[in-house]
Amino acid sequence: MSAQNATKQKTATFRLLAPGVFWMILFLVAPIMMIVYVSFWTQTTFAINSTLTLDSWRNFFASEAYVGALWTTIRLWLIVLTLTFVIGYPAALFVGLLVKSKTLSTVLLVICVIPFWTSFLIRVLAWRPMLGKEGAINIILQKAGLIDSPIEVLLFSELSVVIGMTQIYVVFMVGPIAFMLGRIDRNIIEAARDLGAGFGRIFWKIILPLSLPGVVVGAIFVSVMVLGEFATSGALSGRKVNLLGNVIVTQVGSLKWAMASVVGVILTVLLGIVVAGFLRIVDLKREL
Amino acid sequence: MTHRDASFRLEGITRRYGELTALEDIDFSVEQSGYVSLLGPSGSGKTCLLRIICGFEKPDAGRVWFQGRDITDLPAHERGIGFVFQNFALFPHLTVFENVAFGLRNGAVSVAEAEITRRTAEAIEMVGLAGLEDRSPEQVSGGQKQRVALARTLVMQPSLVLLDEPLGALDANLRERMQTELRAIRERLGVTFLHVTGSETEALAMGDIVAVLDAGKIIQTGTPDQIYDTPASSDVALFLNRFNMFDGTLSDGMFAGPFGTAAAPVARHNPRDVYAIRYDRTQIFDKGAALPGPALTARFLASEYLGSSIIFLFETADRKTVEVDHHLSFGEPRDLEVGGEYVLSWDPAQAIVFGKGAAA
Repeated sequence: MSAQNATKQKTATFRLLAPGVFWMILFLVAPIMMIVYVSFWTQTTFAINSTLTLDSWRNFFASEAYVGALWTTIRLWLIVLTLTFVIGYPAALFVGLLVKSKTLSTVLLVICVIPFWTSFLIRVLAWRPMLGKEGAINIILQKAGLIDSPIEVLLFSELSVVIGMTQIYVVFMVGPIAFMLGRIDRNIIEAARDLGAGFGRIFWKIILPLSLPGVVVGAIFVSVMVLGEFATSGALSGRKVNLLGNVIVTQVGSLKWAMASVVGVILTVLLGIVVAGFLRIVDLKREL
Repeated sequence: MTHRDASFRLEGITRRYGELTALEDIDFSVEQSGYVSLLGPSGSGKTCLLRIICGFEKPDAGRVWFQGRDITDLPAHERGIGFVFQNFALFPHLTVFENVAFGLRNGAVSVAEAEITRRTAEAIEMVGLAGLEDRSPEQVSGGQKQRVALARTLVMQPSLVLLDEPLGALDANLRERMQTELRAIRERLGVTFLHVTGSETEALAMGDIVAVLDAGKIIQTGTPDQIYDTPASSDVALFLNRFNMFDGTLSDGMFAGPFGTAAAPVARHNPRDVYAIRYDRTQIFDKGAALPGPALTARFLASEYLGSSIIFLFETADRKTVEVDHHLSFGEPRDLEVGGEYVLSWDPAQAIVFGKGAAA
């Protein structure tokens, strides 16, 4: 009887799993395997054939431009990640913990999401009239008499890419952190206060550790999106900043599938390492 | 341990939230260390009062005095008053040991590591948690969480410990054990425990002094037997949940109620005329039997067996439920027929009568 039940349950489990597994194999596992496979194909100027070779991999690591793109990607990712955390955490602290009313904190979170009502590209391009030589910021600074000539480094530079990405992605840091902070029992903070801990101590010993899962989730969101970025750097750097994403776009545009695949694999591995690294910091399973 | 000065005094404490008055002109003082229980139904403002004594909230008017000092404007941690939260409020990411050590490690005064270890171990030992130091709060039971919360407060050596419904989250069995233990710990430390509860049995069983709070006012303060035997008003009697209470009219030393008229030579001042007789002073008689006092005809509904006594529930003609508490040490109870009519009576000398005409 119980053996029969166990078999029944097994069948049910397989049936429930099948659609998901099928979907993931078809649209995730198979394409990734294909990219890995294609990265070893032989690329000639106008054609590609399936003779296996290490040429594309050798070319990637031999080229200063490609390896440079890898480092630029990592550098910009670290800068944007730091900035989203530094800007996002205080905002989350305000929304999730300092605002007493749940309604108000929900309203504030919704306000954070308002920029998402316009498309991603519009949000990126909107930075041009802000940062340009004759853009809003330069005009205001000049009118205020703070500068004599416009600051040129504001647009079409690494700085503009950093500004754009930070603004676009900071919300993904604020959300999860505010959520975790909102779950902290206020009595715990009062208990710490009653035991004599000052605000600094309470923050470092209680609030920060308890919000760490939110920080990790936010950091994963931001990292995954920034590492795969190409649009912001394309639109705001004037082609001066090349990220791995931009390399893929260029290679695909000129039908260099093998090199595009190599970069794709490298990017995927990088993402895997980053995500795995973050997940080691906290045990997310315990929090969910 | 020597008895520390734990005297505290509340003077005209008033707290309002907009239109709502949570506490109104509370005067209350405790001179000697002891176990004080503060009894009040939910919404009576008892948690609010604790939070004001502790310093989490400021009163709109009135002063809080502690050990001869006015502490109304002092922040919570400078008051030397410990607070044990209703839901324990343990730090979920720290071990039991680190929870207890938190105040020593992070307080305004820096404490040497060796002393932290010693005092923390002592506090853990005192509440009977030795051996569980390295567990996380989610790995200990409800009763143990309660002890961690207590140890975390006691390690700071407060002279006054405020406990906000400390037994509310525990099951009945554990609650009784913790009652005994809380009293024992308090006596050993010689400090004052101010225990807030909505349970009249808990308040009467634990307190050396009981204060009854209702609708933001303290309506009676006294020892448990004073409160129990001489409730100051019909509201207090109602909270005690041990009296059958009847509305009626009191005039010229006679109380006219659903049971007819009974002599009531002594009456206490009260907004309404109320006649109260304890459950265990009410007796059951057959119709036509000789009675010690007034006669109240009632229909027997059901009985509840409580181990040491039996509660009989009756319903009067005007649909009011009346309880009779028969202690089994007074002999086996008589068999009653469900739905049958009986006569309830009592010795009128044991009734407590409240009247609006009585002298205050």
